[in-house]
Amino acid sequence: MSRILKFLLAANLIVLAVLVFVYPHLMVGPGKLIPGHKQLESDCFACHAPLLGADSGRCLTCHKPEEIGRLTTAGLPIAKPLTAVAFHQKLITQECVACHSDHAGVRRFRQQGHFNHALLEPAMREACQSCHKAPNDALHQQITDNCSQCHSQEKWTPATFDHDQHFKLDRDHNARCVTCHTGNDYSRYTCYGCHEHTLANIRREHIEEGIRKFDNCVECHRSGNKHDIRGGEGGDGRGKKEHDD
Amino acid sequence: MSTSLWRQHILPFTFLLGMLAVAALAGDFVLHRLNLVWVGRYLGIPGTLLIIGSLIYSLRKRKLITSGSPRSLLTFHEFTAWLGSLMVLIHSGIHFNAILPWLATIAMGVNVISGLVGKLLLDRSRRHVQGERERYQLRGLSRPEVEQAVFWDAVSLDAMTQWRKVHIPIFIAFAVLAMGHIVSVFLFWGWV
Repeated sequence: MSRILKFLLAANLIVLAVLVFVYPHLMVGPGKLIPGHKQLESDCFACHAPLLGADSGRCLTCHKPEEIGRLTTAGLPIAKPLTAVAFHQKLITQECVACHSDHAGVRRFRQQGHFNHALLEPAMREACQSCHKAPNDALHQQITDNCSQCHSQEKWTPATFDHDQHFKLDRDHNARCVTCHTGNDYSRYTCYGCHEHTLANIRREHIEEGIRKFDNCVECHRSGNKHDIRGGEGGDGRGKKEHDD
Repeated sequence: MSTSLWRQHILPFTFLLGMLAVAALAGDFVLHRLNLVWVGRYLGIPGTLLIIGSLIYSLRKRKLITSGSPRSLLTFHEFTAWLGSLMVLIHSGIHFNAILPWLATIAMGVNVISGLVGKLLLDRSRRHVQGERERYQLRGLSRPEVEQAVFWDAVSLDAMTQWRKVHIPIFIAFAVLAMGHIVSVFLFWGWV
């Protein structure tokens, strides 16, 4: 390699090294910072600890947990909060980088808008409606709580519950949720919430057929069709008769 | 220019280089389709290790190590450098975030081209042009006529020779830029 070439090579690399220190955000930064942190773009160590990555402790020097979602870092009330409810105060740990990434190049590898509910305090984790608004459809308007019986905390859809697998809501059973599910507990039900079925007439009809066990209606009846009877104690579509010999 | 030099030497070279580009694009596409983009993020590590491994040939060539067949090591050098470059190209992921790693990627690309020119084309092309010269001389052509006949082949050969010369300087540039990228990643990323 000629001396001129060596000199040119060294000179170019030195210029590049200088540029790295003068413009670190352009030379080595993995993409643009979020607009709120634009003023920090050439001050990498405002957020990064050497060899340890982005450091949540450094975030907290500006973002006080008790003020997140309520006040700006300048102490002014937030005019348009990103979430309806301030929830950072209810986190079990202040691990900012578990959810937040500020560089465009890093955000590309992360699922945006995905919140890990496991980071919430247990009581807050169950209080879905303190952050989420129930959908404005006929079904959800009747329900006020216990979202987790149908929905997981990973995704809202698909809901993990299919009512037809337990009982088909046909035209005779197009009832309000609370008719069968009382006390906002959708893991239990009663068939005696309407005028059609009473404990007395159900007992009479089943005893006449020799069926003594009739406390769990959907074990045999999966729809309002009286001929659609399956399973039950005997497993033959009929209840076990008292003298079944 | 005679068509044989183009068909026998430049075309295979272009094909091998094209394969590198196609394989990089295909790899990136597959990772995106399989939702495995994060894999590309780590491919830079094995890619870099393969390129470092390929330098065994360079050490052998300069007699810094004495064991190993130079011929086998050259094949190993070509294979590991090509595969390592492919991994680094997929790692770059065609996302433009920072200038330094992209300069490193460009330097690596130039290095691959110069390496392919040097080892895949230059010797064979030199033999080819020399063979053509001798063939024309045997036909009784005068020296200027021979030079006229092999003019474009000779021009191609000169261009290849120039490419060969940049292999080592551009590798040094690539090594320094890649080192800068690696140091910055270690410095700013949370490895532990």
